[in-house]
Amino acid sequence: MSPSRILAIARRIAQGFRRDERTLGLMFVVPLVVTALLGWVLNDTKDTVVDVVLVNQGGAVGDRIVTALTDAAGKPDSDIAIAATVPTEDDAIAKIRDGTGDIGIVIPANLLEDIQAGNRPTLTIISEGTDPAAEAGRFGTLQAALADISSQLAPPGVTPPVVPKVERKTVYLSPDASQVDVLAPIFLGFFGYFFVFLLTGISFLRERIGGTLERLLATPVTRFEIVTGYSLGFGTFATIQVIVLTLFILNSIQVPAIGPIGAFSIGLGVDSAGSPLLAFAVALLLSLGAVNLGIFLSTFARTELQVIQFIPLVIVPQALLSGILWPIERLPDVLQAIAHVLPLTYAVEGLRAVMLKGADLGSTVVQTDLAVLAGIALFFVVLASGTIKREVA
Amino acid sequence: MTAGAPQAAVEAIGLRKQFGAIQAVDGIDLALSPGRIYGLLGPNGSGKTTLIRLLTGLARASGGEARILGTRMPSRTALASIGYMPQAEAIYPELSVGENLGFFARLEGHADRAAIDRVLDLVELTERKGTPALELSGGMRRRLSLACTLVHEPKVLFLDEPTVGVDPALRVQFWTHFRRLASEGTTILVASHVMDEADRCDELLFVRNGKVIGRGTGSELRARAGTDNLEAAFLVLSGLDPEGNPIEGGAS
Repeated sequence: MSPSRILAIARRIAQGFRRDERTLGLMFVVPLVVTALLGWVLNDTKDTVVDVVLVNQGGAVGDRIVTALTDAAGKPDSDIAIAATVPTEDDAIAKIRDGTGDIGIVIPANLLEDIQAGNRPTLTIISEGTDPAAEAGRFGTLQAALADISSQLAPPGVTPPVVPKVERKTVYLSPDASQVDVLAPIFLGFFGYFFVFLLTGISFLRERIGGTLERLLATPVTRFEIVTGYSLGFGTFATIQVIVLTLFILNSIQVPAIGPIGAFSIGLGVDSAGSPLLAFAVALLLSLGAVNLGIFLSTFARTELQVIQFIPLVIVPQALLSGILWPIERLPDVLQAIAHVLPLTYAVEGLRAVMLKGADLGSTVVQTDLAVLAGIALFFVVLASGTIKREVA
Repeated sequence: MTAGAPQAAVEAIGLRKQFGAIQAVDGIDLALSPGRIYGLLGPNGSGKTTLIRLLTGLARASGGEARILGTRMPSRTALASIGYMPQAEAIYPELSVGENLGFFARLEGHADRAAIDRVLDLVELTERKGTPALELSGGMRRRLSLACTLVHEPKVLFLDEPTVGVDPALRVQFWTHFRRLASEGTTILVASHVMDEADRCDELLFVRNGKVIGRGTGSELRARAGTDNLEAAFLVLSGLDPEGNPIEGGAS
């Protein structure tokens, strides 16, 4: 063993680093940026106002709750607002569907009997059931409000205060839907985007450094033909990827036990509420944007390693800000603004709308998402074409 | 294009390219006649590749103009009659020999099988048609690169260091082929820093610091420099003595 040879190897690594500012940046700056971003999101998460739709079937006693909640909502800095008071549970569900309310509270008809019998009354809380992160926050806000008013539920002279039980209902998925059901749309969007970006970026970088782009540009091919051909080529594979992923997510095949291997299932078996074709369209538009983003960013890399170094820049902020981990409306304003230019934001929203809420092409949300994703894809096509330089008029 | 005179296949008029403070190509005038082989000679970094990129329209000139077959560059239509072999291999390693050729032939609008078989035969890769380029030897990849350049039978050929990494026997074949193409009317500009290939050219252009410092046949240039080898001639015409030191007073 020769220490000088070992040192020589260590030294050559340090020398390599010195000339590769990008890698140094990746090691020292990017973790700081990502950590700062994460800290920002976690510290400055906004308390958003929860819009409550009330259904009072409990008569006069129920009115006490309604009044108490209305008073609570009327206080400055209140985290809840009464969006509507409606006669039936179905009306409340309709209000949540159309976006008027976030959460419905149904005060039961047997409220008074329960209290008089010494039982804890049961309030039914209705939520969308599609975004656990957002709903957990709303639910917490609501529970705090209910705890505040619980004393008012007790008939005069009765202590301790009556704390109502809560029964959950959801508008779209079942209240005990697994994380998988809820995350399925995100898998579809995120992986499609991530891999397509990475593969196109590396592939186009190889065109640039291998001289084939130079040779290509010395033929009568146009830049638009190159970008479109790339989109079509990678788009085809992105399509197959999205189809395979969609099939895996939506279907489930039971495999019987074989010898020591127990029975298991292949596929997630998630029920898509809406059209798988529409979900596919959203994912495909996202992928087309990713192809051209890859071409564009390959301009700024000289090696494959440097393309991979774009991941923290391109992928991480999208994972943090596009509504996957935190609801966008609870992000600090600046980050919200950023979230609204990220393609994944629209893809996640659209895929959730289609797969979890059963939205179809008639839905404004889906229409907007498709339009924005198409716009972003087109924007990247133009940007990518611009980076393929040939001085041909 | 001057009336009466035969049209030059490749023309440069006061062609300039500037990168920041560096004049990579510094006012070059050229008129290359059809059916001749021209050698573009000069050390690394003398501006050979930049000149070729300007002539093919791959780079925008800072001044002057380039014409190919009478068409001012950059022009997409003129590119159909240009063959450009870059210094890099510029082939797709994961594609087979035949697939590489098929791809570039289609981009040139020349996708007939006969054309592909003809160039394959020419570079002696017919037996390797199905082999991925990745598995070829360095020399074979160079041959494939040349085949991709020739597949559409271009009228004007720009070859940037075409024989780098090519063994001597194959180099002879390359040149035999270049000569045959020229006799059929193809204009060829070969950039090289290897002086021993220079005598195979009909005419030489010595390039240094973005300027043409000498042009003529090999023997003319040697005679002008008063030396019997081209390398020394290059140095003398650069204003250096045969050892590479500046001559007192300096040559032009």
